[in-house]
Amino acid sequence: MKEKTSFIGSLQETISQKVPATIVLVGTLVLAVALGAVGGASQVINSVITGGMWALMAVGLALVFGVSNIPHFAHGESFMVGAYVAYFVFTPVHEWLQQNPNAFLSAVAPFLGIFVAGLVGLVLGVFLERVLFYPLRLRSKAGEWVMNAFLLTVGISFILTNGTTLVLGPNFLGIPRYWDVEPLVLLGARVSVDRIMAFAIAMLSIGALWFFLRRTRTGRAIRAVAQDEVGAQMMGINLNFIYPLTFALATAMAAISGAGLLFLFQAYPTVGLQPLYLAWYVVMMAGLGNVVGAIVGGFIVGVLQTATQQFAGIVWVDVIPTIVMIAVLLIVPSGIFGSEVKGIQEQ
Amino acid sequence: MSSMQMEKNRSAGLWGRIVSVLNRLGFSPYGAVALVVVAVLPLIPPFNQEHMIRWLITGAFLAAQAAAFDFTSGYINVVNFGFAALLGVGAYTSAILANEMPFLIVQPGISPWIGIWIGALVAGVLGLGLGWLTLRLRGIFAAVMAWFVGIALMGLVRNLTPLTRGSLGLHPPTLLETTDNLPYYYIIIVMMLVVYISLRLVTRSRFGLAFKAIGQNIDAARASGINPTFYRVLNFALSCAFAGWLGGFYAHYVASLTPNTLMHTSKTVEVLAMAYIGGRGSMWGGMVISFPFVFFIEFLRSNLTELPGLHLVIYGVLMILVMIFYPDGLAGLVDWVKAKIKGNL
Repeated sequence: MKEKTSFIGSLQETISQKVPATIVLVGTLVLAVALGAVGGASQVINSVITGGMWALMAVGLALVFGVSNIPHFAHGESFMVGAYVAYFVFTPVHEWLQQNPNAFLSAVAPFLGIFVAGLVGLVLGVFLERVLFYPLRLRSKAGEWVMNAFLLTVGISFILTNGTTLVLGPNFLGIPRYWDVEPLVLLGARVSVDRIMAFAIAMLSIGALWFFLRRTRTGRAIRAVAQDEVGAQMMGINLNFIYPLTFALATAMAAISGAGLLFLFQAYPTVGLQPLYLAWYVVMMAGLGNVVGAIVGGFIVGVLQTATQQFAGIVWVDVIPTIVMIAVLLIVPSGIFGSEVKGIQEQ
Repeated sequence: MSSMQMEKNRSAGLWGRIVSVLNRLGFSPYGAVALVVVAVLPLIPPFNQEHMIRWLITGAFLAAQAAAFDFTSGYINVVNFGFAALLGVGAYTSAILANEMPFLIVQPGISPWIGIWIGALVAGVLGLGLGWLTLRLRGIFAAVMAWFVGIALMGLVRNLTPLTRGSLGLHPPTLLETTDNLPYYYIIIVMMLVVYISLRLVTRSRFGLAFKAIGQNIDAARASGINPTFYRVLNFALSCAFAGWLGGFYAHYVASLTPNTLMHTSKTVEVLAMAYIGGRGSMWGGMVISFPFVFFIEFLRSNLTELPGLHLVIYGVLMILVMIFYPDGLAGLVDWVKAKIKGNL
């Protein structure tokens, strides 16, 4: 297959071959227009902005599934860890800045929190991969890996959630906003700077990942492992380097999401559940392990989520997305953008 | 092997006949002894205090759930991630049917003794529909879809306030007039036995063989003429029906239902942990371990009140350790010990 290096190029390639994807994309656009007509521009802008963060969450999930075949159920806990780290880094800095005002540092401080959260995510990812998944991989038979890994991540999620409750308590820790500036006016809608920055950070992270996967040697190695593990090994790719690296990247991206959305979600032990659910939703809809699909899917789900809240009654808010998902999976079981991951073909 | 065993049993007279009957019901002689112990335990001094009996009830409730859960995860290798939600559906169905209070829009006032069965039926039908829709997909899809549906059901219960009162909680009437815990204990023990024995009878039949075949290698099973979807849906629906049935007991024993305490994903994980620590595909492993485990957990909870959630962390750590280092769980350990003893004789 011809190598397309630009994001738009591979997007076109993905869409042109897939009828369901086109239908869903058109449907999403219609929904977005309807949303704009009924709820105003702010609804559309908000759904795009949260969609960006779901895309960032979902990319990590898709990457881990595509490369190491881990259906990551503790992805939401990486989000939670990111939110906590950002809180504990940003709050003291913020307090210090209130006593010693400094415009430049005030603008930079939030980035520090988010950056540290990403770093902690990297470390946590390597740690989890080496300490838990590595021994499990040694002990699992070929056909059992996906299910075993899934259950292991369930256990990790359980421990991290309850461990956090144990150490930090169930209280909400949060900040009202990162940047103390007036909201911007976009298309007549007032949008807070925090949201815009969160979106920008999500896009930058996705862009950096994209560049890394497409243009660097290590990134190519990661994609090679996703396509054919044995073949990649024969080419001299060290799986014991690729697996932890991928897992660390995914964890870091979830942590960045959590840190970036701290002003919206706050930090508490079970904060990861909704992001996890949405990330899984995106990945299932787009196709398990499909990284490009996950980026687009994030925005689709962002719109779908806001549209459900706008048009359906509160009673059906949780039900309609599930019905949509069941319909999608019945018609196109491998997701609207397709999935070519080796792992799902195994039991 | 089994015919030889039967020969031996026949020659041993009355004892042999008892063993063979027990065996047919899914109990080894040790299992039967354990059952007798469990049955008389609440009459023996340290355990006859009310709070201990409550712990025993929790243990039996968890044991029955673990058996129903393992019937799906251990046999057809589908993790029913919406298990707690379906249990909640049974509980809420029965609770709403029993309602006589004016604060809900319906007051059918049906006796809980009947409502429990309707709850089981509703959960079973829901499981049938869900299974029919998702179980043609591979295991991981089915697990995640069950999870989605579980979240949707929980959201529905939370938001359908005229019927369920949402997060305010529902207070259905109790099964019995008494405030004594002991009668409830024997009810749940009987329910646990019904769950275990009926599921054991199913797994001993040709259905069980098909389930095992599907769980081990779905393509090979399909090639041998087994229709995987049919058997998986059947298994799934049965497990869901039992979940709903047990939910009915919970509703009319605890007499307080909220979506979060009943249907949350973490409730499913608790059952999953039991089933896995006990040993996948054994059904009895999770049941045996539930009782001491609940005591251990409750002991921790009542003695370390300043550390909320420690028991759940221990749950998770144990589950991970078992999963990575000893996937056969307690049942595997027992088999290993048995084999050792036999080898030494």
